[in-house]
Amino acid sequence: MNSHPDSPLVFQATNLAKHYDAHVALAGVTLSLGHGGIVGLIGRNGAGKSTLLNVMAGLTLPTSGECYTLGTRTDLLDSPELTRLGFVMQEPRFVEWMTVELHLEFTASFYPSWDRDLQGRLVAMLDVPVKRRLGELSTGDRQKVAILLGMCHRPALLLLDEPMSSLDPIARSRMLELLLELMGDDECTVVISSHLLNDIEKVANRIIALDAGRVVLDEGYDELLESYAEWVVTAKDGQSLSPFTEPCILRQQTSGRIARLTVCLADAPEVESFATAHNVLVQTRPLNLEEIYALLLRGQEVVA
Amino acid sequence: MPPLLVINSHNGVPAYRQIMDQIKLQIDSGVLMVGDEMASTRALAAELQLNPMTVSKAYALLERDGVLERRRGQTLVVRQRSTHEVDESRLTHLRQRLREAADMASQLGVSRTEAMRLFREMLNPPKS
Repeated sequence: MNSHPDSPLVFQATNLAKHYDAHVALAGVTLSLGHGGIVGLIGRNGAGKSTLLNVMAGLTLPTSGECYTLGTRTDLLDSPELTRLGFVMQEPRFVEWMTVELHLEFTASFYPSWDRDLQGRLVAMLDVPVKRRLGELSTGDRQKVAILLGMCHRPALLLLDEPMSSLDPIARSRMLELLLELMGDDECTVVISSHLLNDIEKVANRIIALDAGRVVLDEGYDELLESYAEWVVTAKDGQSLSPFTEPCILRQQTSGRIARLTVCLADAPEVESFATAHNVLVQTRPLNLEEIYALLLRGQEVVA
Repeated sequence: MPPLLVINSHNGVPAYRQIMDQIKLQIDSGVLMVGDEMASTRALAAELQLNPMTVSKAYALLERDGVLERRRGQTLVVRQRSTHEVDESRLTHLRQRLREAADMASQLGVSRTEAMRLFREMLNPPKS
């Protein structure tokens, strides 16, 4: 079957692999995205984030596996789907001799849904130098233009590959604001890749982490944050603590009568009963995305 | 009137939890009164620069917990609760802080009498 026109999914991949000669960029990715929401795609350099986004946009064809974007197999994507897709590449390519203004006109002519109000607002918000030629722009300004070109047709699926890596803090924060607005207005689905977790944690409601071409994590952001905690444990009787053996304890550092435990809450006992059982005081602290991410990657390496 | 909320997106507490906790505290401390209207999901999300899904999740859970209710139409307002419910909810905020204080007292080896004296003193500061 070439398409799922009624599919409620904006993207669906089964066992997706992409090899560049001997190099494996994606090694069996299975995932599906429904309508709406902001997905944070995280992973180290070379984890496969850009390759996955390129495959989603149909710019790269997978070596094996199946994938559908906006209900159509990605090798068959054509105008109806492409006009509903927005892609902001990490290193955008433009017609370099054009002024920004002219380039916007040029790109707008391909999209019936081009939103001139949004374009005007974005130009003002991000402070884009419209009169200058693209070839003369700084990396940051080029990134802003790429954002405009990727967003002004109000896509149903917006793919952003490290869109904020060259932006200054003000442009960054405006960009995040904009994403949220776009999402609220149109039920647009946004996939944003970044190795800067601070940007992601402000907006994403789902986190997908890639490592060595595999999905190592795919979970709602809130659920993820609520899955782990750090417990600082102090012995009540002044004795040294011996190692804890509960399987829910993923890591522990003990120093005399104090220990720092990283706990997987799904199979952890209640804090009170743990405290009573070991005759200890427990102070709990949530872990943030960065800490959880480090924890999961370390886990990965231990398994491998 | 949108309540004044401060969300920290880096402390590991999900934003919807922070919204819930702060709205509950505002209600229990009388900043928000019964019948007061909540900002719309969209308005609050824009103000806090959060994903609208986060705000609607917080509102839905506050409604489930009987803290807010939906008035005819769409507006969410602070729900009238029984005295018992209100008291229980107030104590929940305090219990959490006192738990930490009790643990700290125990960790520092401060005696029960000493700790109680300190708490009493804080409740009734001596007039100088």
